[in-house]
Amino acid sequence: MDDNTEKRVGRRTFLAAAGTATATAVAGCAGDTGEADPTATDTETSGGGGGGEDTETEAESTETASGLDVTVTMGQMDSGLDPQDHAETNTEIIVGQAYEGLMDRNKTGGIVEALATNWERVEPGVARFTLRDGVTFHNGDDLTAEDVAFSIRRIVFDDTGIASPQKNDLGAVSEVEAGDGEVTVRFDGLNPIVFQLFATNGPVVQQSWIESNGSDFINRNANGTGPFQLTNYDSGNEVSFERNEEYWGEVPEVATTTLNASSESSTRVNRLLAEESEIVTNVPPQEVSRVESSDVAGVNPVPSTRIIFLQMRYDVEPFSNKQFRQALNYAVDVESIVENVLNGFGSITGQPTLEQFTGYNPDVDPYPYDPEQAEQLVEESGFAGAEITLETPIGRYLKDVEVAQAAASDIDSLSNVSCEVRQREFSSLVQDITTGNIEDKPNFNLLGWGNGEFDASQTIIPLLTTDGALTILKNDEIDSLMQEAQNEADPQAREEILQEANARLHDLAPWVFMHQQFSVYGVASDVEWQPRSDEFIDVDTVSRM
Amino acid sequence: MSQGRFVAKRTLQGIGVVWGVVTVVFALRFVTPGSAINAVAPLDASQETRRAIARELGLDEPLYVQYGEYLFDLVRGDMGFSYIRGQEVTSLVASKVPATVELAVAATVVAIALSIPLGVVSATRRNQPVDWLATLFSLAGISTPNFWLGIMMILVLAVQLGIFQTSGRAVAGVEVLAAIVGPASFIETLRLWLAHITLPAIALGTYFTALITRLTRSGMLDELGKPYVRAARAKGLPETLVRYKHALRNTLIPVITVLGLQLGTLIGGAVITEAVFSWPGLGTLVIRSINLRDWPVLQGSLIVIGTSFVLVNLLVDVVYARLDPRVVNE
Repeated sequence: MDDNTEKRVGRRTFLAAAGTATATAVAGCAGDTGEADPTATDTETSGGGGGGEDTETEAESTETASGLDVTVTMGQMDSGLDPQDHAETNTEIIVGQAYEGLMDRNKTGGIVEALATNWERVEPGVARFTLRDGVTFHNGDDLTAEDVAFSIRRIVFDDTGIASPQKNDLGAVSEVEAGDGEVTVRFDGLNPIVFQLFATNGPVVQQSWIESNGSDFINRNANGTGPFQLTNYDSGNEVSFERNEEYWGEVPEVATTTLNASSESSTRVNRLLAEESEIVTNVPPQEVSRVESSDVAGVNPVPSTRIIFLQMRYDVEPFSNKQFRQALNYAVDVESIVENVLNGFGSITGQPTLEQFTGYNPDVDPYPYDPEQAEQLVEESGFAGAEITLETPIGRYLKDVEVAQAAASDIDSLSNVSCEVRQREFSSLVQDITTGNIEDKPNFNLLGWGNGEFDASQTIIPLLTTDGALTILKNDEIDSLMQEAQNEADPQAREEILQEANARLHDLAPWVFMHQQFSVYGVASDVEWQPRSDEFIDVDTVSRM
Repeated sequence: MSQGRFVAKRTLQGIGVVWGVVTVVFALRFVTPGSAINAVAPLDASQETRRAIARELGLDEPLYVQYGEYLFDLVRGDMGFSYIRGQEVTSLVASKVPATVELAVAATVVAIALSIPLGVVSATRRNQPVDWLATLFSLAGISTPNFWLGIMMILVLAVQLGIFQTSGRAVAGVEVLAAIVGPASFIETLRLWLAHITLPAIALGTYFTALITRLTRSGMLDELGKPYVRAARAKGLPETLVRYKHALRNTLIPVITVLGLQLGTLIGGAVITEAVFSWPGLGTLVIRSINLRDWPVLQGSLIVIGTSFVLVNLLVDVVYARLDPRVVNE
């Protein structure tokens, strides 16, 4: 930050010396101060003024500042601040600064304590959480077991206020009981991944605050237990927080944080390079070198929990043939696509489960690029001369259209298959994909799937089992393995079952296994922050470089 | 026809146009791909959950019932409820209007401040270097896409030189006015406001500036060649008076008409500029609503934009009728 101050002073001096026109000079001084808001705290307003006085004020503010001011620029803003009434990442990032759940995850996806200090499975289908003492909401009230029980009920039971889109995120909850400093949750069935689910989902709200306020108010205000408390909510523009000095955990070095958004990736990068934002999301590959070559910011990539694949319907020709599906896996040069289309920001996959997830099978290698083997398998399948169309969303995933075009080009270059790409608006494509009838789904399409629970079942069950909401596969062996896994209480035995399912799925090839998407963040050089693989931005871990 | 009847007739026509806009915007929901349900529900939501969401959004009602209810609510000033944002649409859209109007007005001010003097100088110094430069500027201004211009200005003036902010809106124009009486520092607030609004206002106003420059130039040339100007000169009036009191005054009548109509265009046309500069107005709201399939908000935004066109047109008609009574009887 000190370096920044010097640069700012330098710019002002330059502007003054250059005798810039009045309006420009007026604007320029403010422009340098970036996040300064005259209506906000004293520390923030100190960036204003002009000339020598300004320099002194800024130096003073840097010295007396009680912490960092961090601005985060994302692609989209939130859809309201109710932590239990949304189902998308951007909202999760914003409300997650103020709200937290019973458990949390660390940078690599490992489970850590949050509002619960202990958790145990007391019997099959029953989990008990011991609550942390001394936790208060931002309004000063103590967190109680009743609040936690209410929070869980509000998510899973339609009659407790809202029909939450997070209803299925905690498993099939049948009953929630509040005890003395603990909460007991009962499920229909075993729910073998209950703690993985609670580590990712289930933000806790205060019952009395929720019940005494309407939806409009809850969506514009926040009362959580998290490291930051809301100071300003400007819908669709920006959300500001200040540090929660009463936080039960380590009080963050960040004093204030503002989260805003720009749908234009170039604008996000420009904000970073103009030192208006400390963290920006989704730096596109073509902008990486511009960020890297600057002296004010760098690029910080991390493997995300999202897998990209080309799914094929099991019930239509030629995709009903396993050899044909395998042939497409041999035909696509994923390594080249990752290197040339994604600038290396991706890793090749060969199974539906990502490497850091429970159930990943380390013995399964990705399909190698082997066009000759592909042509031979197509001949053996009896579908030589097949003409297929790959449908792809536009702009939903990192370079999705370019990835689809490269994959289709590889397939089309086989002597006995021709392939073309059909670009579709995501909402339209997803309407077909989520239809209840498999007959209405595309035969062959690109899709991405995020799995914040870090467990193989959360990908395989919805996408690759007969009753899955988005399935394109019907295979008794996979169904049976997944049913077995969901009823297995022993983690080691369960992991082996999931590994077997992954090996079988590699062989069955219901997808052309593509890549694990990377999240690429731009981070200012004067702060230290490591991104998380689950795409949540934990501003409380930002520190001064 | 009396002026009162003329205004009443135009108002009725305006109401008809607004009704048409409302109907078309309502119909758009059913002819565009994608569903609001997918914006609310997770990808792996069950069909039962999807049906429940459809019920909650009122999407399971017959079309005419949905249309009738929508019109009835609109008349009462209720644009509906955004289930995706959990907010009332009327208040959400209303909160974005000031930012868009502020940007449109700022762009208009930039355009007027630059174009009229430029057009006059260009006409009075015809075929001189300053005229060629003005013509070149007009051609470039009309030909340059405003999003490209915006990005270039951000790169040079904000990122490289650090003179302006790249994007966003820190303070509202009214806050600058409020700062005159305190408690915030007026200079500080003005600086912040200018740092944010200058680039988008230039980007949005450049096409408009070029257009008015050409209009002013051709209008001035036309007026300067008329007999009354020759008569004024023959009377020995100073050239400055001839140009600015007589010729310019007559030139400005069609210019003002275009200015009024363009203000409506600017409100609607700010969508791309707002996206480039992350300006939190109606344009940004429209784009976000399209991405989210947030139909109530999209409908509300489009209706407000459409209505603003109609109102501005109506105002221009009324003003024109006052200035030139022949219009009333045409």
